[in-house]
This record gives sequence, structure tokens and C-alpha cells, in this order.
Amino acid sequence: MPTDHPNAAARLVRLLAACGLLLALAALAGETRHVLVLYSNNRLLPANLEFEAGLRETLANSTELSAEFLDYPRFDGESYIRALALFLNEKYARRPPTVLVVGGEGALGFLLRHRAELFPRVPVVHTAVARSFLSSLPPLPADVVGVPIQYDFPGTIDLALRWHPQARRLVVVTGASAQDQAWEAELRGEVARFQDRATVEFFAGLPTRAVLDRLSGLGGDAVVFTPGYFEDGEGHQFVPREAARLMAAAAAAPVYGPFDPFIGTGIVGGSMPSFAAMGRQAGEIANALLAGVAPTALRLPEIMLTTVNVDWRQVRRWGIDANAIPGDAIVRFKAPTFLEAHRNEAIVAAAVFLLQAGLIAWLLVERRHRRLANLAVQQLRFELAHAARLAVAGELTGAIAHEINQPLGAILSNADTADLLLASGADRRDELREILADIRRDDLRASTVIQRLRALLAKQAVERQPFDLNGAVREMEPVLRPEARRRGVALDVQSAATAAPLVGDRVQIQQVLLNLVLNALEAVNGLPEARRTVAVSVERDADRVILVVRDHGHGIAPEHLPKLFDSFFSTKRQGMGLGLSIARTLVEANGGHIWAEPGSGEGAVFRAEWPAAGGAGSLGPA
Amino acid sequence: MSASLPLIHVVDDDESLRTALLRLLDAAGFEARGYASTGDFLLQPPLDRPGCVLLDVRMPGPSGLDLQAALRRQGNALPVVFLTGYADVAASVRAMKAGAVDFLTKPVEREALFEALQRALARDAAQRAARAEAEQLRAAFAALTPRERAVFDHIVAGQLNKQIADQLGIAERTVKLQRAQLMAKLGVGSAAELGRLAERLRHLAD
Repeated sequence: MPTDHPNAAARLVRLLAACGLLLALAALAGETRHVLVLYSNNRLLPANLEFEAGLRETLANSTELSAEFLDYPRFDGESYIRALALFLNEKYARRPPTVLVVGGEGALGFLLRHRAELFPRVPVVHTAVARSFLSSLPPLPADVVGVPIQYDFPGTIDLALRWHPQARRLVVVTGASAQDQAWEAELRGEVARFQDRATVEFFAGLPTRAVLDRLSGLGGDAVVFTPGYFEDGEGHQFVPREAARLMAAAAAAPVYGPFDPFIGTGIVGGSMPSFAAMGRQAGEIANALLAGVAPTALRLPEIMLTTVNVDWRQVRRWGIDANAIPGDAIVRFKAPTFLEAHRNEAIVAAAVFLLQAGLIAWLLVERRHRRLANLAVQQLRFELAHAARLAVAGELTGAIAHEINQPLGAILSNADTADLLLASGADRRDELREILADIRRDDLRASTVIQRLRALLAKQAVERQPFDLNGAVREMEPVLRPEARRRGVALDVQSAATAAPLVGDRVQIQQVLLNLVLNALEAVNGLPEARRTVAVSVERDADRVILVVRDHGHGIAPEHLPKLFDSFFSTKRQGMGLGLSIARTLVEANGGHIWAEPGSGEGAVFRAEWPAAGGAGSLGPA
Repeated sequence: MSASLPLIHVVDDDESLRTALLRLLDAAGFEARGYASTGDFLLQPPLDRPGCVLLDVRMPGPSGLDLQAALRRQGNALPVVFLTGYADVAASVRAMKAGAVDFLTKPVEREALFEALQRALARDAAQRAARAEAEQLRAAFAALTPRERAVFDHIVAGQLNKQIADQLGIAERTVKLQRAQLMAKLGVGSAAELGRLAERLRHLAD
């Protein structure tokens, strides 16, 4: 405990006088609610953290909370206390607290000694101060208030008997010093009410050896309660905590104690004041003081309620029913969970696990991306295959036209010449024969060009594989739909009710579908919305698989039907007249047949059919 | 006689077509000669024969358009009729801008072909006539003596005999004499005619 420091005090008084103006100004301006907590011991002790949490949750949000601590008993000494007081004085000169909360007996003692220098008119709330300590002090000033704590002997005994329902003996151990005897007297009065639950024995004022010996001989029907002792029967001095440690180590029965420091010595636990509750209690008092309630007008409980504190290791050791431990009990030394025991390892393991999980997830996502990308590439490939063919066709148009028009030009000129020769009436038979031979030759030449062109456009190794036309059509939907949407055409795709197996080149058949659909989209271009529909369906009959593409366009003029699939035949201004020609080439290359017919009502229907592949056994080249 | 008959130059790499065209032109009474490439044509320059060129656009090596450009650079004014298998817009525009008579596509109707060739030959004939006249004029002008040429210059500048005599420092009578001589040499009968002739000469000189 700090002693009085008159020198320091005098210095502080002078300092205060110097700062008087500032303080006065600060007080005038100080409408802010500022609570300063001063702990006896280290602020980071679990008890203090619990206390502060309780205090913080109770104080109004607008209240500013500061905290200081003396750090007893680790730090002590005159110069330290002096420096600390100076520090507090300097620190809070500009921002004086409106309420001061002192935690623990050390802090209360410090404050009472230095109050006049530090915070003369600031009301003080004391907390975690034993009633016995208060009774040892002169009466507190009226503006120093608080709810004292009391060590709960009967509560702890009650706890012991409840947690060990089989216990029939209550052993109470006390010592020989004056304090020990005071406790003994208090206890003898308290135990009367437990007479009906257990027989009570006192080991009072025995030599420690005897105490330990007798404790070690206890059976399973006993529980031990002790406040510890300062002196044993042989006059040996103890700290109660050390006495409790010896007893707990020796006893063959569970040992209980009422003091918080006993936890960890081997005792099971006891009913002890709760620091969170103390924090809440202090907060409520501070709130009232801040609201302007006079300290004397406060109605405060006589004593702080206590909380059960228990050492989890002892709970396990004595087989205490965990359900019997109240929910608000403070359980200490709870066998650390794996996470608690191996925090770093757990973090590393979790990190590794997360990393792996992330990696796996990433790989899965990647795989999905790749699949989607593959799909997209496949689609692109279709579009490109088509676009490339059209582009090649477009690029070749000049060359092709040149190639074809060359023989056609020759034929026409030769025919014209023949005409002129015949008109001249001269006998130019040899010449005419020559001309006819040339015409025939040029005709064949033109035909060869067309054949070469077709071969070029359909140039692709035909891969004959059995496949389901339904699936091939569905695969093309992602290609067709965006195109239809782009052109504002409703596209309907229907599969056959049953499988539609055929043998051929899947990609070529898909090219056929693409060409037919593009043709249909073109056919309904610019028509009213109701007619901008294209329907694709797969049909199946006994021995055929049929791909049907319907549109509601202008239909096909009867005179156009025969040459519809011819190369370079087009009714479209921009058309190359190759789409349907290529479609026919591909359909026929795959052993099928394609034709067009007028739709029912309006539009056109294109049908491409192939022989259906037989059962599993007969799949082969159709 | 044969030299004044127009000759049609058919430049086309396609032998079959070339043969058919030559045959047709022959049957229609044109004189025509075939070339398998632009190079062939340039190697056998048609000297000073009236005619025109029937030119394919697409050929291996230099194209028909290249040949047209080459002819213009050489100052050869033979009119060109293009005949192409594929009439792409860019090529036809280029050809017409460079002075082509027509841009036909194969297969070409006989009438259309002949009509285009006739126009080309007519243009050639007109060009030739103009050139011949200019040539004649130049020759006549070249035959004037330096004094006659000086008098000519002053006459076309609108000066009277008296003024000319003063400026050249000769007698007005001498001016009158030389005026009559140069008008006779140039074959004109009046001052107005002389003025028109001077105008034409100025044109030729440009």
C-alpha cells in the first residue's frame, strides 16, 4: 500500500495552483461526461477487462471513458507514486474527469490520499473493495460511494454441497491467527444451516502436517471448505492462498474456498464477486452521478452479488456434472480446446487448409472456365467455319466469276460468230464445226469450275460417327439464339420425342442447320414481328431422321424451287447463293437428301433427312 | 489502204475466249489481232494504225488497268474498251476515270460489244483527224519566214498595218505584202479566219 507523500503532495498543490486557471476554464467548458477509471493492478488483468466491459456496456454512449492503473503490486514505491500522481495531474488538467471510478482497495487508498491534489471535487465510485476493508477505514466522504464486496462463505459451501450431492461430510479448515479465528467464528455461525445436508467437522488451529494428513485420508463422501489461514497450529506463518494450495494438493476430497486468488491453487472454486457485474454496478452509479443525482441520494445495494468461479481442471478431476455449473459462472483453466492449446499450429493448419481449399476451388473454377471457354471456342469455331467459308467464297467470288465467265464469254462469242457466219450465207462448215467444238469444250470447262468450287466449299474430311441429331441441334442453340436475338427473330427449337440417331459428320450436319437457319432468318428479315419466327425441329420416323427448319417469310416462288439449291442462285440482293448449295452438298455428302416446300399458310419449310442409324449393333456407314 | 483500216487489239490471257472474240470480230468484218498478255501487246506496238484495244482486266502479270496506264504514259491515245469476267466497282471506276470507252462484263452480248468498239474507233478516228489537222497547221506555220511570223504575231494581237509598220520599222506597204503572203501560206482568206487559226495554234502549243 502506498504511504502518504507530503513532499509530492506539496509540489502537486503548487502545480495545481499554477494550473488553476486552466482547470477552472476546463471545468466551465466541461459539459462532456468523462469517466476515469483507476485500477489498482494491471488494467489488462482478466478481472479488469471483464470489469471494464461491464462498465462500458452500462455507460451512456456519449460518455468518454479513460482508464489508468497503478499496477500494484508489481510496481510500488514513493517516487513511483509521486511520478504517477504528477502524471495523472498533468494528463487530466485539460480534460478533468466528471466521475472517477476506482477499482480495488489499492486504488481507493491512493485516491483517498491524493484526492485533494488530483481531483478534489470529482465524485468517486469505488468498486471491488471488500466491506471488511471499508470498515477498517474512517468513514468515506459523502461523494465517495460504491457497493462493497463480501467474501461469500455460505454461498461457497452451498456450492460445494450441491456439486457433490453424495457428500455427507463437510470439513472446514481454519487457522490459528486472529484473522483465522475471526473467520472460524464467522463460519461456525454459518454452517448451522448446512447441518441437515452434511455433518460438519472443523479442523481448526491444527498443525499443517496434521491438517494435510487428515485431508489425505478423507473419503468420497467429504467436501472441504477453507478460507486458508495465516498461521497454523504450530505457529507457522502462511498466506491463505499458500495454505489453500497445500490443502488442495493433499486432500482426497474436493476443496473449496471463497477467495478469488485461490483459483488455480487446486481448489475447485467458490462463490466470488463477479467483475463484470461490478463494472455494470459502477457504470450505473456513474450514470446517476453524471445525470446530476447527488451521491447521498443514491440507493445502493448493501453488497455486491457474487458469482461462481470454478477451476475446470478440478471439475473434471472430481467428476462434477458440468450442467450443474451456472451459465454465468466464470470457468477458469477450462481444458484449452485444441484451438486454444495450439493456436499457432491451428492458424497455420487452417491457413494451409484454406489455401488448399482455395486452390481446389480455384482449380474447379478454372476447370469450369476452361470448359466454358472450350464451349465458347467450339461455338466460335462453328461460326468461324461458316464465316470463313463465306469469306473465302466472297474472296473467291471475283476469281470464281472470272473463271466461269471466261468460258461463258467464249461460248457466247462463238455462238454469235456462228450466227453471223450462218447469216452470211457462205459455206463455212469447217469453221462452224470448230466453233461448236469450242463451245462444247468451254461448257465443260465452266462445269468443272463449278465442281471445283463445290469441292472447295465442302472441303473437309468427312468423319462418320453415330450421333443423336437432337444433341447436335441443341449444341447449336448457343450459336443460333444470339444471332436470332440480334435480328429480332423468335427462334423455337424442338427435339424429337425419341432419340434421332444417324451416322455422319456431326459438324457438317451442324453446318447444314446453321445455313438453313441463317437462310430462314434472312427470309423473315424486315417482316412484322408476328412473322419473324423460325422453328427448328428434329423429327423421327421409322427409318429416317429429319431436320426441319420453318420460317414465315415470303415463301419460295414455284419457279424458283428447282434451282433453289444451285450454286449462286439467290433471290437476295446481297446473297451469294451459296448457303443452300453448301447445305445440299453437305447433306448429300452425309448420305442424306434435302428439299424445300411451301409452308402451310406462308413461308417455307426446308427438310433435310438422313437414314436413321439402326440399333447399337447396326451402327455403321449409312 | 490496209494501213488506214482500223485494227482491234484483243488482249486476253484466256486463249479460248481470245480465239472466240477474234473469230467473232473477223466474222463481223473487223480486223483484229490477239495478245495473250499485256507484255505481248507492248512488244508488238501497233505503230500508227487506227484502232482500239479490247482489254481484259484480270490477267497474269500486269493487269489491263496497268496496260491502260502504260499507254497513257507513252502518249498512246488508242481508246480502250475493258472486258472483264468480274466487274468489281473499284476497278471499273478506275478504268473509266483513266479514260476507258466502256467497261463490259463477260459474257458480253454481241451488240453491246460492237457498239462499244464502234465508239472506240470513232473516238480514235476523231483523235487522229484532230492530230492530222494540227500537224498540218504546224507545218504551214513552220513554213513562214521570220518576218512573216512577226507580222502574224502583231496581226493576231489585233494591231493595224500602220501600227505594225511603225513597230517593226518597215513600210506599211511591206506589211500589207507580207500579210497577203502569210495568209496564202496558211490557207486562210480573212482576218477572222486568221484569228481562229491563231487560237488553234495556241491550243496545240499548250
